[in-house]
Amino acid sequence: MTEKISKRVIFAFVITSLSIYLVFVLNPDGALRILLNLLTFAGIYGLSAIGLNVHFGWTGLLNFGHASFMGVGAYVTLLLMPHAAGREGEVTSTGLPFLVALIIGIMSAALFGLLLGLPAIRLRGDYLAIVTIAAAEIFRLLVRDLESITGGVYGIINYTENFQQYRPMFIDKFSESNAFSPSQAWVCLAAWVSILLTVLFLKRLNNSPWGRALRAVREDEDAVRAMGKNAVWLKLQSFMLGAGIAGLSGVLLAFNYGSLETTVFVPLLTFYVWAIMILGGVGSITGPIFGSILFWVIISETDRLAYLLFENANGQQLAGVRFLLVGLLIMLLMIFRPSGLLGKKEELLLDVK
Amino acid sequence: MSNKLISVSKLKKSFGGLKAVDVDELSFEEGELTSIIGPNGAGKTTFFDLISGFQNSDSGEIYLKEKNISNSQPYKIARMGMVRTFQLTKVFDRMTVMENLLFSGSDVSNESFVKSIIKSRSQKSYENDLKQKASEIMDDLNISHMSNAYARELSGGQKKLLELARSIINEPEILLLDEPLAGVNPKLAEDILALIKKLSDSGITILMVEHNIEAVMKISNRIVVLAEGSLIADGNPNQIREDKNVIEAYLGKDDE
Amino acid sequence: MLDQLGNGLLLGIIISVASVALSLLYGVTRIVNFAHGEIIALGAIATLFFSSPVDYRVLFLDKFSPLGLNFAFSCILAILVCGLFGGLLEVLLFRPLRKGEVGNIAVLVVTIGLSIFIRHLYLLFATGRVQNFPLELERRQTYLFFDMTPRNFNVLIAGIVVMSIVGLLLTYTRLGKAMRAVRDSEELSSISGINSDNIILFTWISSSMLAGLAGIFQAVINDVRWNMGFLILLLIFAGTVLGGIGTSFGAMVGGLLIGILVQVSVGLPFMEGHTEAKNAVALGIMILILLFRPQGIFGKKERIS
Repeated sequence: MTEKISKRVIFAFVITSLSIYLVFVLNPDGALRILLNLLTFAGIYGLSAIGLNVHFGWTGLLNFGHASFMGVGAYVTLLLMPHAAGREGEVTSTGLPFLVALIIGIMSAALFGLLLGLPAIRLRGDYLAIVTIAAAEIFRLLVRDLESITGGVYGIINYTENFQQYRPMFIDKFSESNAFSPSQAWVCLAAWVSILLTVLFLKRLNNSPWGRALRAVREDEDAVRAMGKNAVWLKLQSFMLGAGIAGLSGVLLAFNYGSLETTVFVPLLTFYVWAIMILGGVGSITGPIFGSILFWVIISETDRLAYLLFENANGQQLAGVRFLLVGLLIMLLMIFRPSGLLGKKEELLLDVK
Repeated sequence: MSNKLISVSKLKKSFGGLKAVDVDELSFEEGELTSIIGPNGAGKTTFFDLISGFQNSDSGEIYLKEKNISNSQPYKIARMGMVRTFQLTKVFDRMTVMENLLFSGSDVSNESFVKSIIKSRSQKSYENDLKQKASEIMDDLNISHMSNAYARELSGGQKKLLELARSIINEPEILLLDEPLAGVNPKLAEDILALIKKLSDSGITILMVEHNIEAVMKISNRIVVLAEGSLIADGNPNQIREDKNVIEAYLGKDDE
Repeated sequence: MLDQLGNGLLLGIIISVASVALSLLYGVTRIVNFAHGEIIALGAIATLFFSSPVDYRVLFLDKFSPLGLNFAFSCILAILVCGLFGGLLEVLLFRPLRKGEVGNIAVLVVTIGLSIFIRHLYLLFATGRVQNFPLELERRQTYLFFDMTPRNFNVLIAGIVVMSIVGLLLTYTRLGKAMRAVRDSEELSSISGINSDNIILFTWISSSMLAGLAGIFQAVINDVRWNMGFLILLLIFAGTVLGGIGTSFGAMVGGLLIGILVQVSVGLPFMEGHTEAKNAVALGIMILILLFRPQGIFGKKERIS
């Protein structure tokens, strides 16, 4: 259904704008640099949450291994391009052009979704959750152990040039006058353009016979089967779609970090994306965008809170406070406002027993 | 097994020691309007589940158009031309009535992922034709005014009509109706009954599970009686009315 | 491979007790409690706090001193604390959710949020340091086919005894029967005079106490860390799935098997140099079971899909 400009959307805009304004208020110097960093993460995670929404909001699938789809996209793409990996920093100087590698990476993520989904998609909600977590854990362990391919715990480096070489001049000029990093600005732009394209793509799909069929599957699988349609295959397709989107976001995340190793695509990442999706509104295509911005403002300003609680807070304590808030946020949202910012209460799947 | 559209042989299904279905031989011919009746727990819905693929039998065989469909998947059986309704009316709650029908009437190939991205002209014209068809059926059933309402807003009786409309929009050869008159007011029941008769007259083979004996007697060509999972009587309405076993099984006939 | 059998049994007994606890809770409330790991950790952390020598730097960032109590007494106290915690969770969180008819999926996500929250509370207050109970080091001895320290052997025996008692209680007492009745149908059991709220509360308390015990076992055998519950949570799921969801006996057996499988898999040829991935083996098995025999070894064939 098309989302008209409703009170909810206006509210979401207002809240998001206020939160961005908050960033300026709380950071008198370097606000722009902080804002860029925030927007970059918001864009990347927002894209990932859009993918997760296809799984949960459109199809009702409980996927708690989302980070592994992001990981597959990232690792496959990076490994197909020039890079250095492992403890010795072994250099691979040949590779595919960026766009080709990216497309293969995205399709690999989708394929991974197919592989995981083929056996698992038939399972009831809570079992699917467990299986996806387990699969993500197996992925993490494999990546860590196959050091010769993935660089293991030492990871992959020296790959950013493959993407940064396409950076247009105006980004460099813009960054100079505002004292922030041009390479991050380029990633930020790429992330938001990706979001735009993905949203348009999903809206097109939603208002189509395929989208309609998927909604019917969400409503009543048995009735779908009685109409001669293969409900399982439809769910699989949706799983692959969300996985592909996640793969793209994983690549962007890798380019934002500049180096990639096994502590990136972990369950905590999945929980962040879940929190963002719920905050933005389950089932809303654009919801994750607002949710993501709001979420990152909250998270980045919690460091302030951490310093209040602990003088000279160390890294661990910062992380602790941050995740404390994520956990609390997820709980409170699910209990009191499961429809988040933009979700429609009537469309909630959460009353499934 | 010449013009036997559906036939089952030595069909058995139990649930943890409790026998649900145990039918030696039963078949249905093209064009018949058969009602399946029996006391509660007689296994009627389970029988439907078995022949439409929604449950797997413990043993025995099921043939549809001479193909062995035992333990086939429900969507494949539906594609062969057998559509069913459910005891607990199933409609797509958070979709409009029109969308319910469009989805049901749409071909699988129309809903392909690639096609939906391209949105070709042929898909657009297919959808238009589908909309036409849906409108006609809604008119026939007097639910056109609800076309844009969400299915969950419909009354119980209207949901039944919607489920019926959904089942016939893709012109099935065989219709399995599970208690089409349950919980429906007498006037609507009459309309639904008339519709069923009309469908049967147009050549669709109909199997109907019903508790409303009066209705059953009125329109069925043939009545099959199940009790405790087994066949205890099979014949035309008059024969069944006189059948001692049937009377015994019911401990007095139900009057709606 | 045989030398890993001892380690396998020890890991197995931890997972076993924890799986029984989880299975009990799931059986009666139908909730997959992702915060289960944090209750396990609570048992260990509380024991550490109660038993560590006074003024020893262990928790709460030097602001609170441990109590220096007798170790056995500390364990009992810690288990009671866990029971109390579980009871509070039920009364303050899960009962309102249940009365508010919040769906299972929403509750599941809530338990995930809860687990993240509690775990990082531990990180903040119990710190990220790895700590141990104030117990003396022991030497390993040989028992039948395996060797382990006497203390660990006692843990193994204690675990088996506890679970046997739990099994007997479930099967032969009225309380156990009532729990099983609530599991099968909350409505029907309330009609037959069973107060399902009380039964559920009792289940939360006893499940949490068992979880706390599992945590103590884990801390005795290994150590105390803030994320010790999360680390074995997946293995607990695997054990429960392997044994059969909803049956305590299955959880018992499944937990032991998973523990043994994990440790023994270290000896397999393709695992050479990849010993950290031993968990992956157990998880892989769990996935396979969910695909081909979702009711596990002892479970009933209920709706898995």
